[in-house]
Amino acid sequence: MHLTGLDLFLWALALIEHIVLLAVLWYRRAAPRFPLFTALITVSVLRTVVLYFTLRHGSSEQYFYTFWSFGFVDLAMQLGVVYELSSRVFRPLGAWAPDVRRSFAVLAAVSVVIAAVLTWLASPPTRTLRLAIVIRGNFFSSALMSELFVAMVALSVTMGLPWRTHVARLAQGFGVYSIFCVLTEGAHSYFGSTRGKQMYTLVSHIRIELYCLCVAYWIWALARPEPEPRQLPEQLRLELRTLQRRVAALLQGFRGMGSVR
Amino acid sequence: MTQLPFLSAVAVFLLALVAVAIYFVARARRASRTTWMELLGRLKQIDRDKVAVIALDLLEEQEAEPALDPEMIFEMIGGMDGLGAMEQNCDVLIDMAAYVQQWYPEALEISEELRLNAREIKWHIGRLRGASERGHLFEQFPMYAQRAVATYYLMTRSLLILYEGGHIPGFTDLQRAL
Repeated sequence: MHLTGLDLFLWALALIEHIVLLAVLWYRRAAPRFPLFTALITVSVLRTVVLYFTLRHGSSEQYFYTFWSFGFVDLAMQLGVVYELSSRVFRPLGAWAPDVRRSFAVLAAVSVVIAAVLTWLASPPTRTLRLAIVIRGNFFSSALMSELFVAMVALSVTMGLPWRTHVARLAQGFGVYSIFCVLTEGAHSYFGSTRGKQMYTLVSHIRIELYCLCVAYWIWALARPEPEPRQLPEQLRLELRTLQRRVAALLQGFRGMGSVR
Repeated sequence: MTQLPFLSAVAVFLLALVAVAIYFVARARRASRTTWMELLGRLKQIDRDKVAVIALDLLEEQEAEPALDPEMIFEMIGGMDGLGAMEQNCDVLIDMAAYVQQWYPEALEISEELRLNAREIKWHIGRLRGASERGHLFEQFPMYAQRAVATYYLMTRSLLILYEGGHIPGFTDLQRAL
């Protein structure tokens, strides 16, 4: 595979941005709060380095399998990040509220079905089955991720659950990028590799440029400290706790009468 | 041409996704800009003294039988309309607890607890509404109504304590409204 100057530039830019983002995550002590996101970025650095050396010193077969092994890890970790961000929004008391858990599970299942149907409709014109699977796989993951992020926003607004600054910024970045990815991966599926190599390359460049913008946004957002929360006075906290215990006792009486859906 | 169904499906999918995202982001922005007066304006009129009497009849008589009979409670709360107003106020109480997060982000805990309380109250009021439509209201009423009113009363108390203790602007208005 021949790399142009632009390819090399984008590759280097993404690597530098990931390293800066990792530094910001650790410097701002955000890494322990977002362990899966930090792991995803670390794997991205590793992937860039490994793929670069595989491309220069390995065969195209080795490059393909290395690329796809990292691709699967990347998708699994992105799903993990969706869970990490969701649990920060939907578990304000440390446990999933029963109504939220059920709604989120339903939305996730619907998202998988929609993404699968759209992927099934795609028939990218390619010379090899392998490349067709690559294009379909990319399309499926971007459709799924974009749906999950929109579902997270919709559910949190419906339930009236607020977003802390850093969580909101990370989700915004992922959400906007994955919606654009549906567009670029849709174009990949339409043009394939035979209809126009130039078009395929152009769309790939646009996707990587968007990703670089998204990483730059995360660096900017995480470099800014989250506002320090004010503490409720201890006496007030105690009074509220006592009152809440009375409410809980009352509701326990309710539950004795019949199950709450 | 073979790609036409795919292209159409992706176009519809993208439009729907962007529309849903814009709608919910706009809704969240609108909610975050809600002013205190708008929140107060959403509260339905409920006779707080009668709510207190009904609630305390249950809360202070935990050991003995409550003194108020179901017909009396039904009349005092304003029938199903009164319960409906209470149900709507539950949402406003949650928003009011969320409003406090401007000063105290950890008030999130209170608004989440109120949300869970409100969810249960609403479910029971829904059962009463269903019973009312089927003509069995008075069989179901004693079981659910007074506990729902008492829970609502405790929710309002939680909110008042939060506003007073946290020195949140608007406490006097809230006291008057609840």
